[in-house]
Amino acid sequence: MYGMSLLRNIGIHLMYVLVSVTFGFILGLTLGILLSRAPKYSKIILPILSVFNTIPGIVFIGILFLYLGMVPMTVIIALSIYAMFPILKNTYVGITNVEQRYVEAARGCGMSNRQILFRVELPLAMPTIIGGLRMATIYTVSWTVLAAMIGLGGLGEFIYQGININRNDMILLGAIPAAVLAILLGVLIDLLQRKVTPRGIRKEEKSR
Amino acid sequence: MIQFENVTKRYGDATVLDKISFNIEPGQFAVLIGPSGCGKTTTLKTINRLIEPDGGRVLIDGDDTAVINRVQLRRRIGYVIQQIGLFPNMTVAQNITVVPKLLKYDKERCDKIVHEMLEMVDMPYEQYAHKYPTEMSGGQQQRIGVLRALAASPPIVLMDEPFGALDPMTRSSLQDEILRLQKKLHKTIVFVTHDMEEALSLADVIIFMEDGHITQMAPPEEMLKNPANETVKNFLGKHIAAADPSALTAADFMKTNVVTVDSKKGLRASTALMMRSNVDSLIVTDENDRYIGTLSVEDIKSCGSPDCKVIDLLKTDRETFRTTDDAKRCFDMLLSTKANYVIVLNPDDTLAGIITKTSIAKALAERLWG
Repeated sequence: MYGMSLLRNIGIHLMYVLVSVTFGFILGLTLGILLSRAPKYSKIILPILSVFNTIPGIVFIGILFLYLGMVPMTVIIALSIYAMFPILKNTYVGITNVEQRYVEAARGCGMSNRQILFRVELPLAMPTIIGGLRMATIYTVSWTVLAAMIGLGGLGEFIYQGININRNDMILLGAIPAAVLAILLGVLIDLLQRKVTPRGIRKEEKSR
Repeated sequence: MIQFENVTKRYGDATVLDKISFNIEPGQFAVLIGPSGCGKTTTLKTINRLIEPDGGRVLIDGDDTAVINRVQLRRRIGYVIQQIGLFPNMTVAQNITVVPKLLKYDKERCDKIVHEMLEMVDMPYEQYAHKYPTEMSGGQQQRIGVLRALAASPPIVLMDEPFGALDPMTRSSLQDEILRLQKKLHKTIVFVTHDMEEALSLADVIIFMEDGHITQMAPPEEMLKNPANETVKNFLGKHIAAADPSALTAADFMKTNVVTVDSKKGLRASTALMMRSNVDSLIVTDENDRYIGTLSVEDIKSCGSPDCKVIDLLKTDRETFRTTDDAKRCFDMLLSTKANYVIVLNPDDTLAGIITKTSIAKALAERLWG
């Protein structure tokens, strides 16, 4: 009897995850690249960001709810920002960890800063960046449960209802698909990871 | 032509380059050498503006590099770094065509370049073009590193200790290779090294640097003949001697720990001395250490009487040389007669040492291989 609503909530849940992770990815990648260009500022900005990162998601959604009300945008903004953190951090670390000799060789070959970024630094940092994307996606699947807290559906709906009417099977109806979703998306990103990692640096990655 | 005009570079209070001026002619193989921290790498990097000088000018074919767009400038100058720095995310072919692609050569032209380049170093296209750097040895990687620098046919190639990280065998085969390429392509090459042997075998002209100054700029032969100061001399070290065999004297090769006996000693004492020192002949000297003759175990045997003195038995037919004599004459004598050693005397006739066949071999080995 829950069949239809299960499917619907999986759909909503997935939609929240995909939209927020996409925004988070764009945001995190951009900020990560910008910060890697200015290591001086990033020494100040990165610690501040990681403090924000520790604010519980539930608090953040609550605050946004007060301002924006019960609209999907509230959830998406909150989740995007949380999804951004691991991607931003990994982008920054990935780029700044690219060995200096490659950057020097690229500069010596006559690449402009933009060319060095797109042809050398980003490809070499890609495995690390996708690692951040994976983390962000899996976290976001679980954080999306919070959407139901402000009545916006998703798999959290079953969990909250289950808790309210004290029915474990109801809780599991939300929890199990959420877990499966996290695993599936993780596998999907692993496949992506293989695709974007240049063959030349694959072995290196494994041994790390 | 590369011209340095009073080029100066400071980092804080430290002056790394102090008004250096020199010219490198087109087609020349110039090697920058000197103790670490002398400014040789800095000098190299001011040419493609990886380092900007604080004063003075660097001109290439008469054009001040400071007014040329940096990125454009670097595309016209090949660059090889010590740590190889092939891009690990690119195949050999992609690495070679980095600069051609930056210069927007079309795909066919790039393909042709890859074929030509690989052929030049005898690395078959089918086998190597699509390999990644990590799938090759260090020597092969640096060959590709050199090809990457040559791919867009720049007239000038800069090399910053390119073979420093390679094992000696690979290193010398790459040195041969680069000389061959240089002969064929007539590039102007500026090459940084701290290895004098490498400098001597590659350079048309060696630029010796010290504390941001140029101590000496000369062809290898000239530098060997007239090193400008002690530092240059020390750097040249063993190569100075090896380079000019005519300057070697007997003193360079002689053995000085020789067993001598006073002419007034008896035979018993002499035999005992031979046994103790494990030799079969002694050099006989007078009370003032002047050489008189030699005494061998055969000479002692030939005398029946135990009362004989050394002075009665010694032989004086041994060849003698002066310490300042040409070493070659001693060698010729040793090799052409049955004698197993010759005597070397100081100007005042006192004994300086002896030269044996073994000491020749040893000394030669030292001169040649250090």
